[in-house]
Amino acid sequence: MAWSKWSYMDHWVTQTPQGPLPPQFNRAHMDRYLKQLAAAGFTGFDTFFFTLPALAAMYGSLQGFEAKLNEVGMEKITGVFTAYPSATPYTAPHVRETHDRIFADSLRTVQALDGLAVENFIVMPSSTYHQTEPVTDDKIKAMAELWSRVGAMTREHGMKTTCHFEFWGAVRTREQLATFFDYSDPEAVFFFCDTAQHTIAGVDPVELFREYGDRCTGFHFKDTHDVDRNEAYRTPPDPEVMSPGIDRWFYEMGTDGGLVDFPALMKEIVTSGYDGWLTVEHDKADTFGGSYAEATCVAKWYIDNVLAQAQAEVEATEGAAR
Amino acid sequence: MNDALRWAYALNQWNYRMDVFIRHDHQQRALKTVSALGFDHIELAAGMGGRWDNIGRPEVILDNHGDAAGFGRFLAEASVRGVSSHFWDPALPAEETGFAFFMPLDPSQHDAIVAAADPFIAFLASVGGEQLVVRPAPSAWMTGPLDDGAIRLLGSLWNRVGARAQEAGVGLALHYDCLSGIHSREQLEMLLDATDPAVVGLALDTAEFTIGGIDPIAFYRDHSDRVTHVHLKDVREADTGEEYLTPGAEQTMLQGGAGRRIERWFYELGTEGGRVDVKGFVAALRERQYAGWVVVESDHAGEPAEMAMLNSWYVRHELGQKG
Repeated sequence: MAWSKWSYMDHWVTQTPQGPLPPQFNRAHMDRYLKQLAAAGFTGFDTFFFTLPALAAMYGSLQGFEAKLNEVGMEKITGVFTAYPSATPYTAPHVRETHDRIFADSLRTVQALDGLAVENFIVMPSSTYHQTEPVTDDKIKAMAELWSRVGAMTREHGMKTTCHFEFWGAVRTREQLATFFDYSDPEAVFFFCDTAQHTIAGVDPVELFREYGDRCTGFHFKDTHDVDRNEAYRTPPDPEVMSPGIDRWFYEMGTDGGLVDFPALMKEIVTSGYDGWLTVEHDKADTFGGSYAEATCVAKWYIDNVLAQAQAEVEATEGAAR
Repeated sequence: MNDALRWAYALNQWNYRMDVFIRHDHQQRALKTVSALGFDHIELAAGMGGRWDNIGRPEVILDNHGDAAGFGRFLAEASVRGVSSHFWDPALPAEETGFAFFMPLDPSQHDAIVAAADPFIAFLASVGGEQLVVRPAPSAWMTGPLDDGAIRLLGSLWNRVGARAQEAGVGLALHYDCLSGIHSREQLEMLLDATDPAVVGLALDTAEFTIGGIDPIAFYRDHSDRVTHVHLKDVREADTGEEYLTPGAEQTMLQGGAGRRIERWFYELGTEGGRVDVKGFVAALRERQYAGWVVVESDHAGEPAEMAMLNSWYVRHELGQKG
């Protein structure tokens, strides 16, 4: 049976009378956007913490927004993403003095989601590498302390705090990841596997899932064509858009030159017994004039025609073994 | 899509300028888009031909893919199973016919038009396509509204093309459009009377009918035996009377260049303020057990993939389509 829990991470840009803008432009555009996602078979909706007020305003409340999701054929908000990519005097996960503020922010976001069945509170565990370096054992320990504290709180609200690592973040290598997971509370801090980010950082997401699968609560399925071999991750202020020689890091599944072995990952996921959401993310899909809508459909085609086959192969093998 | 109705999607909106939609990888993305949205057949549009119209004219398609089987394999790469139909406007000049502006109202050109249809008929037959969809008459602003004599002349032309198509196992469907010299219901019925039902059918475009002031549901109920092809799309405005006669109506009317300056006419199915009763029309198709293709068409209505997604949502969620 085809995987039914596909969600979509919200980065869209659409054409409005005021030019290209996110669909939160107004409710009519947002309604259309949700229908478009539903048409492509997505039933979960992931978004950013800063979008929640706009959604609540457009639909009366977040419950009202979820009712709209149901009306178009989707199920619910599955994940909410929050981050402090820029280290500031107020917020920097590696600086313990800022933790109370980050905890308070997190609590406010999670409280806004009370009453919904959001599963993942997705966080960037660190700020940029160049603002954190030198990355020491103690700085990673500080981050682990912060998210363990936040994670204990979000569990009380029914959500798992799950860490989404960037190739340009301060936790990026296998060794740094191991240190972070060792220091963090396994009951409170989980793993969110972004296939492109790890691949760019030179870490195989399939191997990573194999190692941390028991703590994995979600994925961003997106591709890349390049591994960072020139320390682009240290580029200030933002390696995602300003790395020398790389105009575009992220691609949808199914493009020529993609480096992520999605069928292998899918097989690993099915074999592991993971039964959570799989999320498609298109980050900066409009680079070079690309269309979020077309990227989404191409990714859905890949799900239906390539990943479904990978899943079926595993299930056939398992069926034969039984 | 698993309904008694057969659904296809028109690719014409992706080919919005002469130097786009040329590379195979770009075409594959469009094909995967419609496939992912539940449409496994496509309608092609002839275009102006030549090296940049790689998925329009039959000659150029075959140049690209060798033969019909090669084109079929190209479609299959994107899980698209086939071609429902091919749209051709003989008055639109194409490189393959020497940029001739074929005039269906000029009987001296009928032999040439009949010959020019042959590549389409042969191509459709070879790829398993069912309908050659043609624009039967030029724009009214060029010809004026057509009288009985002119319409009978058109009928004689399309009967000849229809007979040749039938020999090849292909249907011929005359596509009504809102700018054509065949504009009113009476004129359209005259055209049906002037053509042989055995070889000539009608392509009913819900939006074009509505702009032209013809109720698509009522017309379908009265002439369901002649409707062999459907274009399904919505519209928010109708011609107030004689806007279609405005000189250069393709631009002055349909692109808002003059008059009421309406820059966009066509919309996705179920659009807010849409004038087409899409549910009612599809119900009528089901009621009469319509056997042809229902081609959903974005036309000139926004970003192609976004439009396809909205149309797919409507077909599945509002038209009772499974899949």
